[in-house]
Amino acid sequence: MSVNPSRRRFLGGAAAAGIAASSMNMDVLKAEALSNELKKNGKRVLLLWLAGGASQLETWDPKPGRLTGGPYQAIQTSLPGVQISELMPKMATRLHNTAIIRSLNTQIGDHGGGARLMHLGRRDEPNLKYPDMGSVLARELGRPDLQVPDYVSFYTATEGRGNAVGQPGFLGARYAPMFLTTDNKPAHLSRLEDITDLDHKERADLRALLSNRFAKGRVSESLGSHNVAYGRVRGLMSSEKLFDLSDEPQKIKDRYGNSLFAQQAMVARRLVEAGTPFVKVARAWWDSHGQNFETHLELVTELDHVMSTLLEDLEERGLLEDTLVVTLAEFGRTPTINASLGRDHFARAWSASLTGCGIQGGTVFGATDEDGQHVKDNEIGAAELFATIYKAVGIDPHHEYFVGSRPIPLVDPGTHAVDEVLA
Amino acid sequence: MLKKLSLLAAVLLCPGINHAQDLLPPETSIQDAVDHYIKSEQATGNIQPAAQVDDYVLMRRTMLDLAGRIPTIAEVEAYVADEDPQKRVKLVDRLMAQPEFTEQLAYDLNNILAPAGKTDLELYLVDALTAQKGWDTMFADMIYGNYEEEMPKQAMQFVNLRISDIDNLTNATSALFFGVNISCAKCHDHPLVSEWTQAHFYGMKSFFNRSFSNGDFVAERAYGEIKYATTSGEQLDAQLMFLTGSVIEEPEPVVLDDEGKKKEKADFEQLKKDKKPAPAPAFSRRAQLIEIALRENDREYFSKNIANRMWHRIYGYGLVMPLDQMHPENPPSHPDLLDWLARDTYANGYNLPRLIRGLVLSQTYSQSSRYDGEKRPAEFWFAAANVKPLSPRQYAAALAIAARNPAHWEDASEAESRIANEVKAQRGWANKFAVPNDEFQVSVDEALLFSNDTAFEDKIKVSNDRLGGELAKLETTEAMVQRAIKAVYSRPATPEEVQAISAYLDARNDRREDAISQIVWALMTSSELRFNH
Repeated sequence: MSVNPSRRRFLGGAAAAGIAASSMNMDVLKAEALSNELKKNGKRVLLLWLAGGASQLETWDPKPGRLTGGPYQAIQTSLPGVQISELMPKMATRLHNTAIIRSLNTQIGDHGGGARLMHLGRRDEPNLKYPDMGSVLARELGRPDLQVPDYVSFYTATEGRGNAVGQPGFLGARYAPMFLTTDNKPAHLSRLEDITDLDHKERADLRALLSNRFAKGRVSESLGSHNVAYGRVRGLMSSEKLFDLSDEPQKIKDRYGNSLFAQQAMVARRLVEAGTPFVKVARAWWDSHGQNFETHLELVTELDHVMSTLLEDLEERGLLEDTLVVTLAEFGRTPTINASLGRDHFARAWSASLTGCGIQGGTVFGATDEDGQHVKDNEIGAAELFATIYKAVGIDPHHEYFVGSRPIPLVDPGTHAVDEVLA
Repeated sequence: MLKKLSLLAAVLLCPGINHAQDLLPPETSIQDAVDHYIKSEQATGNIQPAAQVDDYVLMRRTMLDLAGRIPTIAEVEAYVADEDPQKRVKLVDRLMAQPEFTEQLAYDLNNILAPAGKTDLELYLVDALTAQKGWDTMFADMIYGNYEEEMPKQAMQFVNLRISDIDNLTNATSALFFGVNISCAKCHDHPLVSEWTQAHFYGMKSFFNRSFSNGDFVAERAYGEIKYATTSGEQLDAQLMFLTGSVIEEPEPVVLDDEGKKKEKADFEQLKKDKKPAPAPAFSRRAQLIEIALRENDREYFSKNIANRMWHRIYGYGLVMPLDQMHPENPPSHPDLLDWLARDTYANGYNLPRLIRGLVLSQTYSQSSRYDGEKRPAEFWFAAANVKPLSPRQYAAALAIAARNPAHWEDASEAESRIANEVKAQRGWANKFAVPNDEFQVSVDEALLFSNDTAFEDKIKVSNDRLGGELAKLETTEAMVQRAIKAVYSRPATPEEVQAISAYLDARNDRREDAISQIVWALMTSSELRFNH
C-alpha cells in the first residue's frame, strides 16, 4: 500500500461528505457546546471603518493641555472620571453601552499593511490566504438559508480597492463580501426590465433542472458551489429593498442626516435588522497629514452624530443587545503635530471602540502616557482586539478551521480576548 | 550540531526514495506509464474505474485543455464522424501545434507563478515556450536571468515583484518550484522537522538576501549574511543551504570600505537610470540556487514539483496534494508514477508540451467524470475524471463560441481565423471571473452577474449573429433543442432535455423569442458549460 492509510481515510471521508462539507470545513464535525451555538444565534457586527486613520487624540483619547493635545478640549462624559474629545458631545452622553480601548499597538504604519492587519487580525502569510473579519463572521453568524446577503461592504472612493480589504481566503467565495462600489446599492441585484419576474424565476428553475442533471454522478466542491450560488440569487434579489431608503420614515432620515456616511449607516441598520451578520461602512478622508484639526472638526462631528444616532436607533429597535458596533481604522495618528499642522500615521498607541452586543458598557480599557506617545497600561494588538470582537458575539476565538490537516485558530495562538470589556 | 541535523534532514526529507531499478523502463510512453501505475494501484484497492467517455466529451475536454475553448458544432461533428483510428492522437497533435496551446500554457503558468492578479510573466512565458525552452531554462531565466544572451526583463519579474519581502520570495520560490512550503512546517509537531525548517528556511533565504530590485532588473551584491535565532535563543549564521540539506561552500564575502560602497551605489543608480541590468557578482548566490536545484543528487524536488503541477493541471488533482506539501509526512498517492514522470521529464529536457501530450493521451485521461457505481472513489485513485472549473479565459472563450450563431463557424476556410478573432474580442469577459484554486467556489457575484447583467443579456438575445437567432428559425422544437445543446455542450441532447425544454417553450407560445433567449440563458449558465468535465 503506497498511500498513507490515514490520509486515505481522511480524504475518503471528505469525499463521502459530498459537496456540502469541504475538507477545510471538517470542524463542523467537532462537537461544539450547544450553549455557544445558542449564544451567537442572531448576533451581528457593524463596523464603522475610519479609512485613512482617525486621530485618537481628537476622539477617544484626548490629551488636553499637552503639547501634543492640539486646540480641542476634553469634555466630561456620563461616566465618572472619563473624558473624550469635545468634538464628540453626543457620544459623551451615551457611553453606557460602549467600551473604549485606548491601548492598541499594532505596529504597521502604512495604509495598505495597516488596513490588511486590521481586517484580518493577523499578518499575511505567503501561501495561505486568511479570511477577513467579515468573512469569518459571515461564516460563523450567518445561516445557510439566509435570504439576505451575509457580508456587505461599503467602500469609499478614497479608500481605494487596494485598501478595501474583503477576502474570504480559505473559507471560499461563499463568504466573499458583496462590495458596494459606486452607490448604495449592489450591482446586479435588480432584475432587468425586459424579463418578467415569472420568466426570471422559471428560467432559473430550468437552469437548475439542467444543472442538477449534470451534477448527478459527479462530486466536486466547486460544482456544488456553482449551483448554490445560483440558488441564492432570487433570495438576494428580494433583499434589494433593504438598500432602498425611500420607504424609510422621514423622521428617521432627518435624524441621520443627509451625508453619504449617514445614508450608509441607515442602510447598514436596515441590513442588520433583516439579519445580515456583518456590514462594514467606511468613511474616508481621515488621512490628515496637513490641517488635522480642520479635518477632524468636520469628520469627528459627523462621526459623533451618525454613531450616536445609529446606536440610538438600534437601541430603540431592541437590536443593540445583539449588534456589536465597532469603530476602527488602519491606525491612529501621531501625537506629535507636524509643520503642516497635521498628524501622521501612528500605530503604536491608538484607540478603538466597541458598543452593544456582549460589551460591558461604560468601560475604558488601557491607557497611554500623558502625551499619548506610548501605551502605559494593558497594551494589546490586533489579535486581542479580534478575539474580543469574536467573543463578544459568542464565537470562541480559539475555534479552529482546518486547511487540509493544518489547524488554523480564528486568532493567532496565544492571544486572548480582553475580558475586562466583555459583559 | 548543524551538520548533524542537516545530514539527518537529507535522509528524512528526500521526497520519496528513488528506486530507479523498479520503475518501468524509460522508453515506455508517458501514457502507458500513467495507465500502468494508475490501474495497478486501483487493482490493489479493488477500485472499479469509471467508463471511458464518448467522442463528444473527449473532443470537448481535449479542446479545452489544449486550445482553451470549447469546439464548434462543425468541429465536434467532424471529429465524431472521422473513422481514422488515429484521430485522437491527430487531434492532440493538431491542437498542440497551434498558438493557442502555447498561449494557454503561458497564461496558466503565469497564474501559478506571478503574485495574484499580476500578468507580468505571461509574455515571457509565451516567448520561452515558443522558443521550446525547457522548464529548467525558464526557471533559470526567472530566478537568475540570462547574462549570456539578452536579459529577460519580464522573466525577472518573478523575483522583482517579490524582492521587497525576501521571506515571501523565499517561500514562493520554494513552494512554486520545489513543491515545499517551508513557512507552513512551523506548525508540525515533530521536533526534528521543526529544527530542520528553521535551518533550511534561512538557508533558502540566503540565496536571495544579497539581491535587490534595481529598476526593471534584479541586482546582487557580493556580500551580506543572514543571522537568525533558534527557538532556544541560540544565534546562528545561515548557511547557503538547499532544501535537501546540501550546503554550498562559498568564498568569503567581498568587503567594501565606505568609498567602495559609495561607488557601488552610484554604479547601481546609473544602471537603473540607464535601464540596464547590473552585472552579476563573480559569485552569485542566485546562480548557485540554479546550479544546486538542478544537479543530480538534488534535482528531485524540482523535477517532481513540475511533474506534479502539470499532472494537477490536466487531471484536476495532484499526485501530491496540496501541491506545496511535498514532504515525507505527506507521500504521493502514486510514488512510483511520480518518480517515473519526474525522471522522464528530466531526461527529456524538461519539455512541458511533451509531458502534457503524454498525459492527455492516457486512458486515465479519457475516463468519464461521471461515476455511476455505488460509491465514488476518492480523487487520489484517479478512477473517474475530476470536473475542473474553467479558467477565466476558458470561460470567456466558451461563452464567446457558444453565444454566436453556429453558422458563423461553418465555412471551413474562415472558421479558424473567425474563432481566434472572436475569442480575442471577448477576452475582456475573463476579468469578471476569479482564477480557480484548489478550494475554488463560485461566488454569488458571478451568479448575480449572469442573472441581471445587460452585457450578458446581449449575448443570449435572439438576433442574427447570436445562437438564439438561428434557433428561432428552426422548424421543429426537437431540432432547436438538438442544435442548442450541441452548440453549448458539444453533444446531442437527451430525450429528457428535449422534453423539459419543449415544455418550457410550449408554455410561452405568446412570447417565443423571449422563451428562446431564456433557454439559451439556462443552457449557458448551467454547470455543464462552466466546468471541464
